[in-house]
Amino acid sequence: MAAAVHKARELFHHGSHGDRKNSDGKKSLSKQESRDLEEEKHQLMEYEEMKRPLSPSQIHEDHGRKMVGHSSHVLRQEDFELVKTLGTGTFARVWLVRLKNTAKGDQNKVFALKILRKVDVIRLKQVEHVRNERNVLAGVAGHPFITTMVASFQDHDSLYMLLDYCPGGEVFSYLRRARRFNEPTSQFYAAEIVLILEFLHEKEGVAYRDLKPENILIDAEGHLKLVDFGFAKKVENRETYTLCGTPEYLAPEVIRNTGHGTAVDWWAFGILVYEFLVGQPPFWDQNPMKIYEQIVEGHVRYPSAMSSEARDLISGLCNVDTSKRLGNISGGAQRVKSHPWFGNIDWDALYNRRINGPIVPHLRGPADTRNFDEYEPEGSQREAYTREMAEKWDDYFKDF
Amino acid sequence: MSLPPDYSNEISALNREFLKAQPSDTLQFCANFFLRRLESQRAEFLLSQHHSSPQGRGMAESTFPGNNPFGTSPSGGFATGGMHRLEEEDENDNVASPTAATFAHRDMDRAPDTAPGESTFGNFGGFSNSIKSGAAPPTSIGAGAGQSFPSNYNLNRRTSVSAESLNPASSLNDNWTPPYHQKTADQQNRLKAAVSGNFLFSHLDDEQSQQVLGALQEKPIPTKGIKVIQQGDVGDYFYVVENGSFDIYVNKSGKLEAGPDGLGSKVGSVGPGGSFGELALMYNAPRAATVVSIEQSTLWALDRVTFRRILMDSAFQRRRMYEGFLEEVPLLNSLTPYERSKIADALETKKFPAGTTIIQEGDVGESFYILETGDAEVYKRGVDKAVKRYQKGDYFGELALLNDAPRAASVVSKTEVKVATLGKDGFQRLLGPVEGIMRRNDPSKAGALEDGDGVDPLAKGS
Repeated sequence: MAAAVHKARELFHHGSHGDRKNSDGKKSLSKQESRDLEEEKHQLMEYEEMKRPLSPSQIHEDHGRKMVGHSSHVLRQEDFELVKTLGTGTFARVWLVRLKNTAKGDQNKVFALKILRKVDVIRLKQVEHVRNERNVLAGVAGHPFITTMVASFQDHDSLYMLLDYCPGGEVFSYLRRARRFNEPTSQFYAAEIVLILEFLHEKEGVAYRDLKPENILIDAEGHLKLVDFGFAKKVENRETYTLCGTPEYLAPEVIRNTGHGTAVDWWAFGILVYEFLVGQPPFWDQNPMKIYEQIVEGHVRYPSAMSSEARDLISGLCNVDTSKRLGNISGGAQRVKSHPWFGNIDWDALYNRRINGPIVPHLRGPADTRNFDEYEPEGSQREAYTREMAEKWDDYFKDF
Repeated sequence: MSLPPDYSNEISALNREFLKAQPSDTLQFCANFFLRRLESQRAEFLLSQHHSSPQGRGMAESTFPGNNPFGTSPSGGFATGGMHRLEEEDENDNVASPTAATFAHRDMDRAPDTAPGESTFGNFGGFSNSIKSGAAPPTSIGAGAGQSFPSNYNLNRRTSVSAESLNPASSLNDNWTPPYHQKTADQQNRLKAAVSGNFLFSHLDDEQSQQVLGALQEKPIPTKGIKVIQQGDVGDYFYVVENGSFDIYVNKSGKLEAGPDGLGSKVGSVGPGGSFGELALMYNAPRAATVVSIEQSTLWALDRVTFRRILMDSAFQRRRMYEGFLEEVPLLNSLTPYERSKIADALETKKFPAGTTIIQEGDVGESFYILETGDAEVYKRGVDKAVKRYQKGDYFGELALLNDAPRAASVVSKTEVKVATLGKDGFQRLLGPVEGIMRRNDPSKAGALEDGDGVDPLAKGS
């Protein structure tokens, strides 16, 4: 297996990216490119067998040497059959895809393809966020609980991120169906999130900024995958100011615009644990301004049925004062991990996926989409991405 | 004939549960299992009835395998409980927090806040105040469709929001200053009163407040019938009413429509000192209502980018200033930039009038101070005159971070001063013991500070 990874790595890192720009998909491939494409398709078919969790330091130090997370100069949308929409956003659509012309036995080898239309990305002023998303995902690929971006590519008017498919669907759906999770289930999911945040913050210097049950998927084995890195940003030791997130999960410092960093994820994590246990987040009102007023005040009310450990954890995380917020204070994520509420968690076994998830999705096979909702078909009206726009903007998309 | 897949799924789930539990009473166990499954499926079905979105379909479909963690949840049949409550809650539209409704009053540690009373200036919580004065409250005024399943909480997927990218680095280069629009003292005071109830403004310091009030721009509304904002449109401005009056309409469809009834129903009105549209100061969200002038009026307008930029620039400058000051403190010069920025974030601003004793000689030191503006003087017992003067950027009391020794001198403000301060507990909470940080660049010194405690592995290593 190691040899295969090595081979893949070599393959993905030669070949020029130079003349990819403005290619419209009709251009015929050179011999070399055709060979690369065949090799790359071959690797994709083997992906399932080769994937394994990398350790945090492997992911961090092996940049550019991993077989995942690369920018492909040969893959095209035309290489994939779009099977079904898995999710939609304001400027993106995620499809279940499989490589075209695959052998009968390989019908189950599927991926999620996130397609972003350049025109919409520009119109909604999300260029910077999309660049961040691609680059953060490339950097973190290989983490056991983060969606793996296998490759990225682009054509004249769209950007593509090829991701591993997570057939269990959103934690959100399970949570809403169940109304609330019991403590062991909540602890398990929360613990996997802690490992993600520990890695993103302390290894990568990345703030995720949109934690919520909608962005957490369950994989075939019942483990979590964090998806949608649209607001993720490498902040390192500098604060950042752009307001982004989801109303119920915004941290007070984001609302007040005093500058924020990775501490916002610990706040949102507290909200998430609360929502797991209670069924809805602690701050809510029909009027979003009232939500923000409550958040800034920061008074969380707990149902009496909640255990004192859970309360203590949430109140440590949802502290308006970042200099007192658990996760942000001295000791970082380790302090969260050693909180009594996580007393039963074997962190090492958890990272290595040796602990069974509380919900193992019911699947007919790896390509089953029953855990995803139906979405409206894509509208046919499309604004064109003109030559002038391409000249102005394509440089911003060159990492894809 | 093969068995239907649903049947096989149920049986294999039962098998798993059975193996796990290894019950002694087989029949009772199986009966319990199916009852539980039935209950859970009914719950899902009932829940799905309350979803208007495409989720509804998925919700009704049973996908739980046998190791369903909820079947045995102590909270049990939420469906029946939830459904019961539903009727009571339809009449209770002004619930402040979801928990207040989900859990009966007595279950809460603290009574829910049920007093929505606000001053005459106070329809800052959006349109909710005005709505109370109007006809039947529409349930769809909030971000999404009205949801009446327990506590009105909207159970649909939540959409992410984001504002324009704000980048402080560029603001340093292009020397941005906020727009300033002249106002009379009276106008200024009225505006101040008008925004005082809004939490977005109540956290501002004096300087920010001045800038924000200065940036409000007069907007004359020449006649009646002008739609200042239209429901469903994107919103960039927040408005305060100087004079005149406006009606507020909400169309249940979520946006202004064509035709005579396109405005929807009137839900309230707003007059001098009132304001509307404050969500636009956060991000670009669709307007929740239409506001129409009833007569010739005058408004003050403030746009989001200006507002957020004022806040950002002052926060950014303050942080950089604090980091700069911290670099000058020898005790802390081994901090990494990351640590320094954490401390800068935690520093608290305090103001003292002239003649205040900020630290008192002989007291136990708790906090350390950086002088941000103004002058201060240092006095020692037995000396008549000041022994030292402090100016902007000077710091004092830093030894309090290290030990509990009494203050060696007093520091008294000579003018009004602004200081940035941090307590020993705050410092340690963020970075751990100061001794450890000191040891980084001068191990021998740190050893000495620990009263000659020779067992310091780091000191030996040097």
